[in-house]
Amino acid sequence: MSDLLELVVSATASGSIYALVALAYLLILRPTSIINFAVGEWAATGAFVGVAAQTTLAWPALDGPYWLAVIAVLVCLGALGWLVEALTVRPLIARGANITSPILALLGVLVIFRESLTMLFGADPLPSPPPFGFKRVAFGLFAGVPQQFLIITVTFVLFAAVWLFFERTVWGRAFEAVALNRRAAALMGINLRRVTTFAFVSGAMVAGLAGLLMSPLTSAHYMMGLPLAIQGFTALVIGGVGRVEGALLGGLVLAFVEQLGARYLPIPSGLTLGFPFVLLILFLFLRPSGLMPPREAR
Amino acid sequence: MRLLRDALIWFAAIAAASALAFWLGGYATDVYRKMLIWVALALSYNFLFGIAGQVAFSHFAFAGVGAYAIVIFAHQLGLPFGLAFILALALSAALAFVVALPSTRLEGFYLALATLAFSQLVLVVISEGGDLTGGTGGIANYRLPHVFDVTISGPWYTVVLVLLVASTLWMLRRLDRSAFGRACRAIRDNAVAAAAMGIDVRRIKVLAFTLTSTLAGLAGIAYAYIDNVINPPVFGLENIFLLLFMIIVGGAGSHIGAIIGAVFLYLAPFVLEPIVGHGFMVVFGVLVVLTILFQPSGLAGLVNRWPARRAT
Amino acid sequence: MSAIPLVSISRLTKHFGGLTAVQDLTFDLHPGEILALIGPNGAGKTTTFNLVAGVFAPGEGSIALGGERIDGLPVHAIAARGLMRTFQHNMPFAGMSLTDNILVGCHTRCSDSLFDILIGRRRVRRRETAARLRAAELIKFVGLQDRIDDDVSALSFGEGRLLELARALAGEPRVILLDEPAAGLTQPEMTRLGAIIRDIAARGVAVLLIEHDMHFLLPLAHRVVVLNFGRKIAEGTPEAIVRDRQVIEAYLGEAVGDLAMRPASA
Repeated sequence: MSDLLELVVSATASGSIYALVALAYLLILRPTSIINFAVGEWAATGAFVGVAAQTTLAWPALDGPYWLAVIAVLVCLGALGWLVEALTVRPLIARGANITSPILALLGVLVIFRESLTMLFGADPLPSPPPFGFKRVAFGLFAGVPQQFLIITVTFVLFAAVWLFFERTVWGRAFEAVALNRRAAALMGINLRRVTTFAFVSGAMVAGLAGLLMSPLTSAHYMMGLPLAIQGFTALVIGGVGRVEGALLGGLVLAFVEQLGARYLPIPSGLTLGFPFVLLILFLFLRPSGLMPPREAR
Repeated sequence: MRLLRDALIWFAAIAAASALAFWLGGYATDVYRKMLIWVALALSYNFLFGIAGQVAFSHFAFAGVGAYAIVIFAHQLGLPFGLAFILALALSAALAFVVALPSTRLEGFYLALATLAFSQLVLVVISEGGDLTGGTGGIANYRLPHVFDVTISGPWYTVVLVLLVASTLWMLRRLDRSAFGRACRAIRDNAVAAAAMGIDVRRIKVLAFTLTSTLAGLAGIAYAYIDNVINPPVFGLENIFLLLFMIIVGGAGSHIGAIIGAVFLYLAPFVLEPIVGHGFMVVFGVLVVLTILFQPSGLAGLVNRWPARRAT
Repeated sequence: MSAIPLVSISRLTKHFGGLTAVQDLTFDLHPGEILALIGPNGAGKTTTFNLVAGVFAPGEGSIALGGERIDGLPVHAIAARGLMRTFQHNMPFAGMSLTDNILVGCHTRCSDSLFDILIGRRRVRRRETAARLRAAELIKFVGLQDRIDDDVSALSFGEGRLLELARALAGEPRVILLDEPAAGLTQPEMTRLGAIIRDIAARGVAVLLIEHDMHFLLPLAHRVVVLNFGRKIAEGTPEAIVRDRQVIEAYLGEAVGDLAMRPASA
């Protein structure tokens, strides 16, 4: 029983990370129709920036607070997201290029990010100091390391905030309008270029946050990006690309299937690595709208 | 007359590429052989991605299926080589068809992700296949058997690879210049208009995917006997990115572009590695972004532009 | 004009959700005839086109081509039976040469198996040669011979229209559907287009077109079917139509501006 409850905590934490990466995809995909595969690398970048901020910048001497590292990650990733959008996506959209062009260009960006991380930080995993230590804590029956609870809390708060943003604010409404119909939104006076920029900046920040949050559990490693990119996308497809809540649900479903399957199914552990791929294929083929289909256009 | 001239050009090119096999030696032979495999894969991937417009990430997975199938059939199970060859090719084709049927219904980049998931699954299966696939270590210590009492070895195997590239190019060019190739390009440019012209979009998409993936399987079979060793990482995601980059930089949709792109990006690390170390992949990434931004027709577009300018 | 209809549309009905786009529509189309479909925005013209071309399957009713039911068939199967169309917005194959664009239209006339193509069967080569001859002819027919080496994306809007027309004709259709062919054309281009359409019909092809420009349409069409709210409100010669009170009220009168306010139904 305690085994199962521990697994619930750990799956919810992993699912939260997947959900954040899925959210990063979603923020970019909804208004621009661009599937940005580089979000996984952005998460890895977030992890490395977090480690660098806490270890190299005279941090130990200053004993800087953790929230400064969070800000460093958000600022860096926001700037990188903006830079990538301005240098690759914007000129292609302005030229009226086929939607595949920016997607392929972002694959180039993915490789640039990953190889740059390798060159800057080396190929070995860098341990990332957790802000609240490794001491097990328990909330009632649920026990885990503090980082897991931090991940879960931040993710749920962030999702609530993003949900409110889309539902309740003018900017969120503009985003939705662009997602539903770019041309109509432009006619309504919404600045498409600004929405696109905002999408990439916010997407990069959320991805970076995911990497930062997960790094104390897994270390920062240059190979962490691509698996995250695949898991995040799988979460997105499971939940449905139409709704913010879908990303969260999809992330949790994926993580629970992975972890329950690995623990309780009588198959070799290596084969359980295939679960996300099987899920992704099943959903793409059988239920492409995901568990939470988009609302009717209003 | 034109027919004769074309035949002469083909013959001369094959002869020159084969002669190189006898002149090179040692490490250079190994590099040359792997380059030929890359060119063969780039040619078929160019047809799939550049001409038929399908961004699929499964090309190396099918090469892996071909390579593992031939080794398992011919050496692990000890079937006669001819039979093993036919079975390996048939398995690649059948699997490609099964993947193509549902995948080609997916729009745009969703096809890429479905095929990416498929190729990761192939990797999981061959890594976990126990003794049959040799697990993560792969299979080694087998040799190309005698076929009709002929042993093909040394530079003659390189000639086989040259013939593989030549026949792949010949086939794909022929198909490209037929109604089939035009249907593929039409679907890539505008599927709605293509259907209105009487093109069965699904059928053409499935055919293009199955055909090119089977050619990847064939290249995989040939790859299995280069070093007489196969292992999972070769067929993973790293290489599919590189293959995609070769096509983009060379010029998507152009056969000559695929060849130029494959040769250029395959050989570039040998020049770049001493200068920038492992950073050559960054250079490739930058090159891809620059190509998409400023020279969408790739290196082939630069080559083609020159005589056009001279003519006007 | 032949007495046996080439296309028979009978009691065609299509709903989208709660909206009725086409209701109980019946008309025939004969070989060599130019039939115009007119009506205010949202009257169901484009829906009718899409039903005939197979983009949507009709809810009720039937469509027959040469005596064979075609409703419910996929788009490409209907095209292969000799029904080709152009689009309201030009849809060229932007990455292909002008000649190849038109050769795509020949697809149904030269779709051989991959094996036949690879071994270079004589039949394949013969068809290819015939298709290329036909493409060259059609380029001349629509007057694009000077643009043959140009990028198709460099064509003007009017030239793009002509390319679409030549592409549709390449399939040797029995019926051709033209969706607002004159929209966006200059006066001289329109005159040329009118002559080309007459020429097509004179060869025995049935032409069904949607058009808003009455000055272009009235001298061209043999017969006009008027739609309003998805229903046929009149059918007859252009001369009879312009005198029809119902038509004048619904469409030709001054109230055109009000009509644009109605919900657009696909």
